[in-house]
Amino acid sequence: MSRKKTFGNIAFYLGNILVTLLFVSPLLWMVSSSLKPEAQIFKGLNSLSTFFPTGASLSNYIEVFQRINMWKFIGNSLFYVLVIIALDLLVNSICGYALAKFEFRGKNLLLTLVISLMVFPAEAIMLPMYREMADLGWINSWASLIVPFVAKCFSIYMFRQFFLGVPNELLEAASIDGCGPVKTFFKVVMPISGTVYATIFILDFVAHWNDFMWPLLVVTGEEKRTIQLAIQTFFGSKPINYGPIMASLTISAIPMLIMFIFLQKYYVEGIASTGIKG
Amino acid sequence: MRKRMVAVLLAAALASVVSTGCGKAKERVNEEGESVVTIWSPSDEPAIEEWWVEKIGEFNQAHEGEIELRREAIVRADSYAYEDKVNAAITSNDLPDILYVDGPNVSIYAANEVTLPLDSLFSEEEWGDFFEPSKQQNTYNGKIYAVGATESSVALYYNKDMLDQAGISVPEKKEDAWTWSEYYDVAKKLTGNGVVGTNIIMDKGEGLSYVLGQFWISNGTDFVNEDGSSADGYLNSKEGVEAAQFLNSLIQDGYANIDPIQKEFHNGRAATMLGGSWEVATLEKDYPDLNWGVTYFPVADGDGVLTSPTGDWAASVTKNAQDMAAVEEVMRFLFSKENVTTYAQAISKPPTRISSYGVLTEYNEYPRSIFKEQLMETGHPRPRTPSYSVLTAEFSEAMLNIFTGVDPQEALDAAAAAMDKDYAKYYAKD
Amino acid sequence: MKKSINKISERRAAYIFVIPAVALLAAFLLYPSLQTIRYAFTDYNIMRPDRVIFCGFNNFVELFQDEDFWIAVKNTLYFTVLVVPFQTVLALALAMLISSRRKGVPIFRAAYFSPQVTSMVVVAILWTVLYNSSPDSGLLNALLVKLGLEPCGFLNDPKTAMNSIIFMSAWQGAGYQMMIFLAGLQGISREQYEAASIDGAGKLQSFLYVTLPGLKSVIQYVVMITVIQAMKLFTQPYVMTKGGPQNSTRTLVYYIYEQGFQKRNFGYACAVAAVFFVIVIGLSLGMKKIIKAE
Repeated sequence: MSRKKTFGNIAFYLGNILVTLLFVSPLLWMVSSSLKPEAQIFKGLNSLSTFFPTGASLSNYIEVFQRINMWKFIGNSLFYVLVIIALDLLVNSICGYALAKFEFRGKNLLLTLVISLMVFPAEAIMLPMYREMADLGWINSWASLIVPFVAKCFSIYMFRQFFLGVPNELLEAASIDGCGPVKTFFKVVMPISGTVYATIFILDFVAHWNDFMWPLLVVTGEEKRTIQLAIQTFFGSKPINYGPIMASLTISAIPMLIMFIFLQKYYVEGIASTGIKG
Repeated sequence: MRKRMVAVLLAAALASVVSTGCGKAKERVNEEGESVVTIWSPSDEPAIEEWWVEKIGEFNQAHEGEIELRREAIVRADSYAYEDKVNAAITSNDLPDILYVDGPNVSIYAANEVTLPLDSLFSEEEWGDFFEPSKQQNTYNGKIYAVGATESSVALYYNKDMLDQAGISVPEKKEDAWTWSEYYDVAKKLTGNGVVGTNIIMDKGEGLSYVLGQFWISNGTDFVNEDGSSADGYLNSKEGVEAAQFLNSLIQDGYANIDPIQKEFHNGRAATMLGGSWEVATLEKDYPDLNWGVTYFPVADGDGVLTSPTGDWAASVTKNAQDMAAVEEVMRFLFSKENVTTYAQAISKPPTRISSYGVLTEYNEYPRSIFKEQLMETGHPRPRTPSYSVLTAEFSEAMLNIFTGVDPQEALDAAAAAMDKDYAKYYAKD
Repeated sequence: MKKSINKISERRAAYIFVIPAVALLAAFLLYPSLQTIRYAFTDYNIMRPDRVIFCGFNNFVELFQDEDFWIAVKNTLYFTVLVVPFQTVLALALAMLISSRRKGVPIFRAAYFSPQVTSMVVVAILWTVLYNSSPDSGLLNALLVKLGLEPCGFLNDPKTAMNSIIFMSAWQGAGYQMMIFLAGLQGISREQYEAASIDGAGKLQSFLYVTLPGLKSVIQYVVMITVIQAMKLFTQPYVMTKGGPQNSTRTLVYYIYEQGFQKRNFGYACAVAAVFFVIVIGLSLGMKKIIKAE
């Protein structure tokens, strides 16, 4: 028995470490390149040595912070992304819940609409949306970065799919205890759905943190410049120096990783043994 | 707990939206009653950003009470980001007064009346101080629509050690520039041991039109006709197909990579490279151990035309400009002799004004002298046509198709037809 | 009696719950989408917003004769059909790989998700090295040559370019679906596994009879969004192949961007978008039917 267990452990770690190497190598290369002098970055690209900086230095990072106001741009991005997510989690979860658990007129139509609108590519509606922002006088405002992205069909649909699994007995029990439907949602359903909220938080954060095209169109100047726009300033003029680019990309990955690690606790197995079925 | 957090965030979000939601109308006059002139230009390296701060300060001080000059640095990125931003601003009439545009786009904006003619900006004599190729690029329908401070050129870089080893010497005069067959032979001799003979840009984008287009000109044709209305019979002419075939032979025979790794030449993986004037500074700064040199852009066999690429970003005045007198004042300031010189110095690119070379003496010395000489005597701008954005996309697509096996005539016919269709649809009736 | 009061308060709650989302969707998704469809009937060139002329079905007539458009339709469907099963299975495999309770699981989880947080710039540089067609620079080709095989063109061969993109996309995207599967796995209670184990079920059986049924609605969701994301494939061809070589990686959304922004033919691009919209709605309705029929 114990030998079998040991074998299982070895297989588990060996397999996962191999797969991990396949998945993290770009990230490792980015970090190692950010520590190299410019001339070393593309040298020996097809040998393993490319993953290990020789004579590592922080000079690329120093250059990044000297050239641009990185802290401000990180702050800007954090602000608008977190506001979008906070509103997204609220607005879309209640809508998804209604679609999962309530009966009302127009429900099927709404569901079809949610699924259909999911498919409209951002590239196709960007220009009409820009015109709409201009008509509203929102160009160069936080509103244009935030408001259009609060309601999201992906999130609504995902919330619905998960709330479908909340057992009706739980809701009926709450109703017998005198909870109205609204109160039931906030007091009973929300607290046991941490994983779903965390998942959407993570996926949303990554998506918006990497936003480039839309902020580029609606924001001019440094006041509301986002981190991705700031990184692109290093691509501005030829010749392109990749050292500071790799450094700024590494900096930009850090908040995502912190957020990810922070929300991991919602993925600890067994936390959701509260009766939700998939 | 979570609910409270959500509520706080929600309130903060709403407050921020409300307080900033009402976008400010574009300010054309500031609180002190000064006329505001706004410039959009690509965000650039620190030396240029400093140049802007210094010069704007200088200008605003000299025009206190009259004009306030502002500049927004727009992210250019490595693709079409800047153009996308301008496109969006055009749809809502939100353009700045002065807009920097890349050389070949000048015709597009001019033909669509997005930018205004600038001939009256300088006297005839003053215009004479600007390079011909640069003025040519910025001219559409006989009028000048943009002014640039700097230029660019492309020449053939080579790895001295590799050439010495192979016993190859390079041409010393532009009249002796390598012909295509000589260039081919050199590339052939130098290929081997993990090194390719040459690197022909291959960025799958604008670089192809910018550099490879010269092979059309050298072979006695061009991409489009004189007034930019048609590519048929030019891009896909017999001479054009020959140019494409020549480039294709470099790729097919393995003397140049279709997909070169980054900095192939810099790292000694390519023996020669068609490279821009901007590479000089990089090679000097980051690759001090590389033993390199520069020679002239190759020329077609027989009566090939001596040629080299030119073109750089230039400033134009948009249709949304308001106080024209103030805008012209700004333009004259930005492109004065002194400012062209300091700008070119800061960005280490060749200046557009001939008189600037009296100050920037490094251009009289090798290797920079090669680029200056090419600019003065063999430079040819990219084609001037309002359908340029279609043309350039179609050209790079056609070249990639040729390099992966499509018949050159067929690929170039398709590209020429696409460009002509665009012209017929939007511009033939104007 | 009580029931009907509940029904009324439930309906009221339902409207309170859906109105914010519906209002925002109507204003910022439905409205611009309808605008896009409206522009599909015009000759809108981005350069001349003041000279937009209604041109009936011209764009659509042109579209149906446009060979590039049909190739884009074909490429998009090809990509979707191959990448969806591949990526979904990969994502589920990754999720299962780390579903046990062991030390280090959070690290592996972060690792599998990391391609999502790695910039496309970096990913593109490394995969072009991996896929480089010359055996001197390309890692995979160096390997092929060592094994005595012919080098492969990968992204520079029209026959293999799309497959290369499929492989890379699945690698990059699987972490996203893995997170959703992991969230779904939380919903399956330990008791169910214990019950199965008491009944003598092995690892494989408990996966087949407990895990898969327990993930049913999650799998539906994952397949649905993977299809939709696959249909919207844009970034990889944009960064790595520019739709080439020989049209082999030109997808519908890439074509929309290329026509609308790069070539400034916005009216035409909107027509492509409208047809794209119809195709995907047809597809998602079909999928809904299949799901219901089960």
